Amino acid sequence: MESLYLWPANPAASLLVLAILAQVFLYAARHPMHRAFAALGRLLSGGFRVAARFCKSVSTAIAQRDREMLADAGKGDAEARIAREFRRIEGTYSKELARYPDLHRRMDEVTAKIDADYKECSTATPTPPGWAEATAAVAKMEGSGDRVVHKLLEEIHRTAKDAEKKALSEVRETNSKRHKILSGMAPMWKELKNLVVESGRSVTKALESTKRIDGYMESYEKIRKSEPKAIRAVGWASTQLFVVSLLVLAIAMGGAFVNFNLIALPMSELVPSGSRIGGMPVSTVAALVVVLMEIAAGIFAMEMLGVTSFFPKLENLPASRRRMILVVSLGGLVLLAGIECSLAVLREQIVASATALKSALAGAADHTVADPASSRIPVVGQAVLGFILPFILAMVAVPLETLIATGGHIALSIATGLFLVSGTLSRLLAQGARHGAEALRHGYDILIVIPLQIERIVQSNMGKGEREGREGRAALRPQTEGRR
Amino acid sequence: MKNLMLVLFASGLFACTNSRNYAQAVVALVDVSGTYADQKPDVVNVIKRGILPKLMPGDSLYVIRIDDESYKKDNIEADLNLDVRPSRANAQKLAFARKLQDFANRPQRARHTDIRGAMMLGAEYLKETGAATRTMVVFSDMEEDLPKGVKRDLAADEFAGMRVLAMNVKKLSADNANPTAYRARLAGWKQQVTSHGAKEFQVVLEPDRLDELLDRR
Repeated sequence: MESLYLWPANPAASLLVLAILAQVFLYAARHPMHRAFAALGRLLSGGFRVAARFCKSVSTAIAQRDREMLADAGKGDAEARIAREFRRIEGTYSKELARYPDLHRRMDEVTAKIDADYKECSTATPTPPGWAEATAAVAKMEGSGDRVVHKLLEEIHRTAKDAEKKALSEVRETNSKRHKILSGMAPMWKELKNLVVESGRSVTKALESTKRIDGYMESYEKIRKSEPKAIRAVGWASTQLFVVSLLVLAIAMGGAFVNFNLIALPMSELVPSGSRIGGMPVSTVAALVVVLMEIAAGIFAMEMLGVTSFFPKLENLPASRRRMILVVSLGGLVLLAGIECSLAVLREQIVASATALKSALAGAADHTVADPASSRIPVVGQAVLGFILPFILAMVAVPLETLIATGGHIALSIATGLFLVSGTLSRLLAQGARHGAEALRHGYDILIVIPLQIERIVQSNMGKGEREGREGRAALRPQTEGRR
Repeated sequence: MKNLMLVLFASGLFACTNSRNYAQAVVALVDVSGTYADQKPDVVNVIKRGILPKLMPGDSLYVIRIDDESYKKDNIEADLNLDVRPSRANAQKLAFARKLQDFANRPQRARHTDIRGAMMLGAEYLKETGAATRTMVVFSDMEEDLPKGVKRDLAADEFAGMRVLAMNVKKLSADNANPTAYRARLAGWKQQVTSHGAKEFQVVLEPDRLDELLDRR
């Protein structure tokens, strides 16, 4: 600073002269500087506006892509649900239809039997002959005194009475038979009723399935038309699934960590622990590989069981090959679980040996401080853990698939959000740049406020002079014109 | 595709590194001369409790005696190259501890103190191990007293890539009377050791500190 002093002995005067020179220079450069500030403001604000437009367009494109993806996923899901429902209906119908001929035959038989019985009942019952009236008429006939006639009449009367008795007994017998047939029809009616109820139940089931299919079809239609509400619902369901699968995966990773620690130490007995891969001991890498192999075996087992569908190629394999792969993967899983179980037991032995060594080095009298025989609980616990954990890890395939399937939507949503925020920030920065340039212009004017005030005074004085001159000329003009 | 396979194979080969790159080798020099000979059991205890448990499978440990003429193979009291299997390594450690105990129980007292001879012998063994971390722990008062006719000239790279830790279990009465002389002696050793290639020279007062230093691979 002192090197700039014009008179080092008199810094105040030097500073004053420098300030005046600076003021003069800044005043002279005022207009170019204003233009420079304006250009800078335009440049920055234009750049930020372009960035904002870019962010907005990208976020719109990503959101559109996300919607398309959700619509596709929703369509696929709805199609799968409908197909599953159709399969269920197909199963139900094939079962019910298989039973239908039998049902129909039984109903037919029962109906035919009822019909036959009814017909038998409906045949005209023998009407009791009019013996009573005949007998009464004969009885009322007066005897003519002729013994022959009297005897004849008595004979006729007796015969009529016998015939009446016989006819009545026949009528009673027929009626009794009909009553028996009618009472025999009751279980058939009951059976018929049951059969009808059964068929009614099947029909109700079919109707319920149809209703469900109607619902699925309705949602499918909505998704197909990309209705915002339906897409939002699919998106929300996708997010929920993502969070749940993430949670389950985190828990599974905890299990994998426990599993890894369980076998890392004893693994050094099997593989050379001195060698390293990428800085990690080979035994550690081997333990990690075992854990990963368990997960891989689990993924294949789940794939072959049809729970997941990571590999479409495997889905097209014949059932026999699928079964073979399933057996291999499950066998591998059991084998690895067995290895882990034995490693867990070995681990306990190594720990006991290390404890004994430490106590021996520390100078303890009894070198076998840790007697594993005294308590088998840790060994059993570790062995059980070592056997069970691989199977639990095998289940990780399901949340993993869900995570991958829903991860796309989450990634796109996050990207959309980020671009939207960036766009908003860019717009704010564009506005800020515009106002900032204005503020700089005013700030510059504040720096040269003294020359500006001088300029104002000079201009006002000059303006006053000019105005007075104009007024003077205007006052003289009529006189001159008058003379003219 | 073939190129990719080649690159993957090559990277796999490079990723697999020799165990020696991560192994640790330690040489413990134990002074058995003069009054320091009485400290032998304490020194052995420090080795057993402070150094031995810190060693991992693949590590090495040598115990060399500092006496009249220390640059002799006979001065190696015990050596240990740990097996890569932990169970076997534990058994080796136990056997080594027994050897050390025999060394501690054996009455021994040298008239002279050939520290540099032991250091030279130890440095040779450390170099031979090819271990990535090489540490020399000197249990001595660092007062050298060579017999007549014995000459010890250190090579320029005698201690190249090594750490030298000086652990004084017992100070001499002269050092108690004049600590400045003791400090000057240690400074001299530091200058001598570092000028011959050692990465560092550090004085350790507490055995617990030794654990920390050995952990720092």
